[in-house]
Amino acid sequence: MKNNPTYLLFFLGLLLCLLLFALNLSIGSVHIPFMEIVGGLAGKELSRMSWETILMEYRLPKALTAIFAGIGLSVSGLQMQTFFRNPLAGPYVLGISSGAGLGVAILLMASSAFGWAIYQGGLGIWSIIFAASLGAILVLLLMSLTAWKVKDSMTLLIVGLMFGSAVSALISVLAYFSEAEQLKLFTIWSMGSLGGTSYSQLTGFFIALLIGIIPVLYKIKSYNAMLMGEVYAESMGINISRLRWAMIISTGILAGSATAFCGPIAFIGIAVPHMARLVFKTADHRVLLPGSALAGAIILLFCDAISQLPGSAQTLPINAVTSLIGAPMVIWLILRRNFSKEF
Amino acid sequence: MADNPIILTASNLNLGYRKGKQVNTIAEHLDFELKKGKLTCLLGPNGVGKSTLIKTIMGQLPPLRGQILLDGKPIQQYGLWEISKKIAVVLTDKIRMGTLSVRQLVELGRIPHTSWLGRLATEDQSKVDNAIKATNIQYLADRPLTELSDGQLQKVMIARALAQDGEILLLDEPTAHLDLVNRLEIMQLLKTIARNENKAILITTHDLEIAIETADEFWLMPCGSPLVTGLPEDLILQQNLDLLLPSHQLYFDRDAGKIKSKIEILKINIDGPASMKKWLEQALIKNNITKLPKDQSITLTENPFELIFKDGETETRFHQIKSLIDFFKRGNTTEKN
Repeated sequence: MKNNPTYLLFFLGLLLCLLLFALNLSIGSVHIPFMEIVGGLAGKELSRMSWETILMEYRLPKALTAIFAGIGLSVSGLQMQTFFRNPLAGPYVLGISSGAGLGVAILLMASSAFGWAIYQGGLGIWSIIFAASLGAILVLLLMSLTAWKVKDSMTLLIVGLMFGSAVSALISVLAYFSEAEQLKLFTIWSMGSLGGTSYSQLTGFFIALLIGIIPVLYKIKSYNAMLMGEVYAESMGINISRLRWAMIISTGILAGSATAFCGPIAFIGIAVPHMARLVFKTADHRVLLPGSALAGAIILLFCDAISQLPGSAQTLPINAVTSLIGAPMVIWLILRRNFSKEF
Repeated sequence: MADNPIILTASNLNLGYRKGKQVNTIAEHLDFELKKGKLTCLLGPNGVGKSTLIKTIMGQLPPLRGQILLDGKPIQQYGLWEISKKIAVVLTDKIRMGTLSVRQLVELGRIPHTSWLGRLATEDQSKVDNAIKATNIQYLADRPLTELSDGQLQKVMIARALAQDGEILLLDEPTAHLDLVNRLEIMQLLKTIARNENKAILITTHDLEIAIETADEFWLMPCGSPLVTGLPEDLILQQNLDLLLPSHQLYFDRDAGKIKSKIEILKINIDGPASMKKWLEQALIKNNITKLPKDQSITLTENPFELIFKDGETETRFHQIKSLIDFFKRGNTTEKN
């Protein structure tokens, strides 16, 4: 099924990704000459100490985070859309992001109730990541229990939506009772951020990404069979319940870790797989999986570059940027052609 | 051992669903044999359990009692993967993916035979080619699925099932929603495939007339009684087709080869060629004109086409069935008045 245009598209995509990566490294509140950055990446020392710190400790981890999160979110979105046979499915839908949000909200509430000062210093970031992961895993376990009981994918999807709503309601209750400072902290977390990831966290993120992608790679043929629906897939020897578990575990790890490290990032999971389908003009997951991953990295790097507002010290929240780009894109996709046919 | 034509057998099979301790039996005491190279039609009223039977044969639903033997081995002992190499299905769900081409869909049929990555070997490619050739859809191969008509799509689905290369093809109402020409074409195609590729093909259908014309074997599934199997023609002569008709108002007319209502008995004297009489009778029945006094009769002539209504000595001539019927209707109302 792979042919030359596909390879060419991948080559162009990689080129674009590299270009955006370099762009991301070179823009920011402090101007660093481009050649210095290229030199820095090649291992040379930068001519100013402060440039070195900014590039290595801030911009590089941030760009890498954008790539990892973009890959994780779009790959989990692709899996969910195929598994649920629903073009609007995405990591938000199984309540994973809301679960992570609940974890963080509870942590912040508890910290104010018991007077912990967890939000200060490096420990604070880790504890937020830990709480978010815990929340995501909790919702995921609940969803798995449901998946075990409920055999119908559509029911699972609806239950996931309801879980998400219930958890959001819980967060609102918590927010109502929390103090202004905690509330602000939570709001900032929920705006998402690609910055502030240390190298040790990046290593963790990278490992989570690798582990999360294994189940998809292992089941990639099953996802192709799922294009025809569950009964057909089963008639072609696909074990649906195993595939369901693989999907839940994979999306849980991928979307859960992305949310834990960056906060909720909207629309990447929904919009990017559709972009990949549009660009590569195929339904074959052997092309769509790497395609979505690449497109996810590109889009999130691009959004991050926009949020940086060149020349100014201000940074827009990444969640707002992805929503501003993603929402019109999904609308455009829906209007452009019949969504259900496209899918 | 020579190639055994009987690929699937069942005896005293009970079908249904088990939910906790509740057992919901849908059909009981089924016996059947499915043969290679034959087109078998499963006929029965809605809700009698045809789809349940299909699901049970697919191995997706365990039988409540009895066993289905696939190639001599109980179907429960096969893994999903092994069944998928023996049984391929065409279901009623519509598959319409804009990003999938016809060939790509047919290639999906090779999934049970390929490695984890799903790369198609030369053998897989040639099976796909053969399936496309056998269903005469070469001219469609590169089109996206969204551009196909219902009849074309059905052929593509059959090609996919063929590419899966099992000995058995199960088709759930393959001719539903199709026009007459397409229905005939699909059934003829299935029959040819059964012969040429030596497949055992089992289809469910409500299309009695086309099924009689094409099927090698009938499985009749009447409400509340066991399966009746046999040659369609035998079943007709043994008046077994009436088993499918729950109402006593209906019967299978051997001469006409279709189901008729018992009320449709005309007490009108009609003379003329049989082929013309038939249509006049049908028009009269539709308009509820089933009786005329004994001294009245209708004569049909072919060249020129005329309908002559005789009432004792008086003759009235018509050039259209419609004007005759209008005449009767006016006559009736005037009588009433």
